[in-house]
Amino acid sequence: MTATSTAPAATDQAMAEFDRTTSRWGRATMIAGLLVSIAGPLYLVFAGGLDIAPAQLWIAFAAVAATFGIIWIVEPLTYYPILGPAAMYQAFMIGNISNKLLPAALIAQTNIGAKPGTRRGQLASVVAICGAAAVHLASLALFVGLLGSWLISVIPPAAMNVTRLYVLPAVLGAVLVQAIVSMKQPRTTVIALAVAAAVVFLVLPAVPGLAMVSTAIAVLGTVLLAWFFRSRQPASKARPAQPVHLE
Amino acid sequence: MHAPMAPTGSTDILAIANAPVLWLCVAGVFGVIVVQSLIFLRAVRRAAPSVQMTPADIRTSFRSGAVSAIGPSLAVALVAIALLALFGAPAVLSRIGLIGSAAYDVSAAGIAAGTLGAKLGDESYTQSVFAVAFFAMSIGGAMWMIATLILTPLLRRGDAKIRAINPAAMAIVPAAALIGAFACLGFTELPKSGTHVVTCAVSAAVMALSLLLAKTLGKSWLREWGLGISIVTALGAALLTSGS
Repeated sequence: MTATSTAPAATDQAMAEFDRTTSRWGRATMIAGLLVSIAGPLYLVFAGGLDIAPAQLWIAFAAVAATFGIIWIVEPLTYYPILGPAAMYQAFMIGNISNKLLPAALIAQTNIGAKPGTRRGQLASVVAICGAAAVHLASLALFVGLLGSWLISVIPPAAMNVTRLYVLPAVLGAVLVQAIVSMKQPRTTVIALAVAAAVVFLVLPAVPGLAMVSTAIAVLGTVLLAWFFRSRQPASKARPAQPVHLE
Repeated sequence: MHAPMAPTGSTDILAIANAPVLWLCVAGVFGVIVVQSLIFLRAVRRAAPSVQMTPADIRTSFRSGAVSAIGPSLAVALVAIALLALFGAPAVLSRIGLIGSAAYDVSAAGIAAGTLGAKLGDESYTQSVFAVAFFAMSIGGAMWMIATLILTPLLRRGDAKIRAINPAAMAIVPAAALIGAFACLGFTELPKSGTHVVTCAVSAAVMALSLLLAKTLGKSWLREWGLGISIVTALGAALLTSGS
């Protein structure tokens, strides 16, 4: 192979070119994806003839931001060292990072004998994420777009109603357990459960007007108490930050 | 809370959730991801020889990524199908399938509906409530991309300020925020009805069992499929309990 004789300077130049291309186009495609993804709801809200007041939109968004605002910033920070700059622009558009994209990248690196963190490993993970994206798009189009739409048309209305009514508790029960298990922080878990229970079963019945901001209160309360009562073990024994598994 | 939105009281969500414009946007998101993948693959092919990566290595990497994504992709598809009745195919495809995740988008939709005094899925879940929920989860989802767009260049330059963030805070704060949010959202479901309690409990129990078996038997696919299996089992329990 001719490449083995290439001088290091040529390697640096080629990788600099790679970084330039992926940064420029990664940003451009991510902005395009962002705009397309919000175009649909914006159309419904402003052109759908639904008579929605702007204040309702901002209150709804503010309630979501109060709950997930911390995660928006922390998640990119925790994934950056694992993904590297190029794959960041792929991962946060394709989604399902921890359960799909990271395993794909690791397996590809293993299969071509590239170490994570090396340039070869970085290229392998970018390619692996492209492969994962191809499979993911195909499976979504086939199973959700086609099969799912067919399922909706044949499912009895009674079963549809049950699904609509109870899918929220069906998702949240499992998600709560998953969050508790994957974070591995017993102390934080106990505090979170106690705060949430207090908010839902004591504060809300007493002050029903707080229903709008109940989740935000629970999040803020848990963060403050968990920080105040954190275990102060020596830094060497403290566990490194676990990537947050939401995307 | 009794403040249902009066004017557009239709609860026929799927009538507007399947609007052609929304399908067009889904096609757009798919298209953007395809274009991005092609550009990145070309960039890799150019840079590969300089780091001793052969064309065969590139093919192997692509195939490894594709094969390892089959299981997780099908697991995501199962979760997405369970949410079709609530959000319709275009919203599910662009939000839960791509970009976001079931945990975030369902939570965001529930929170947004709550600010209107409505609940997802019942008679207060009108077209307007769906539109506001879809808006809130999409703009919220876009915040991840905005954070990525801002932080990635900063991190590339090795910004010292970001690296200096206290590691203990990075571990505790996000975990506390997430568990606190999901615990509160989950508990909020419980007083609604006995069936809600059963559904939530079954879902939590099945997930706990899946994770336990995944650990003791070393079957990692149980971890991927845990959410889908839990949702389907819990919905089955809801169907039996509600007696319809």
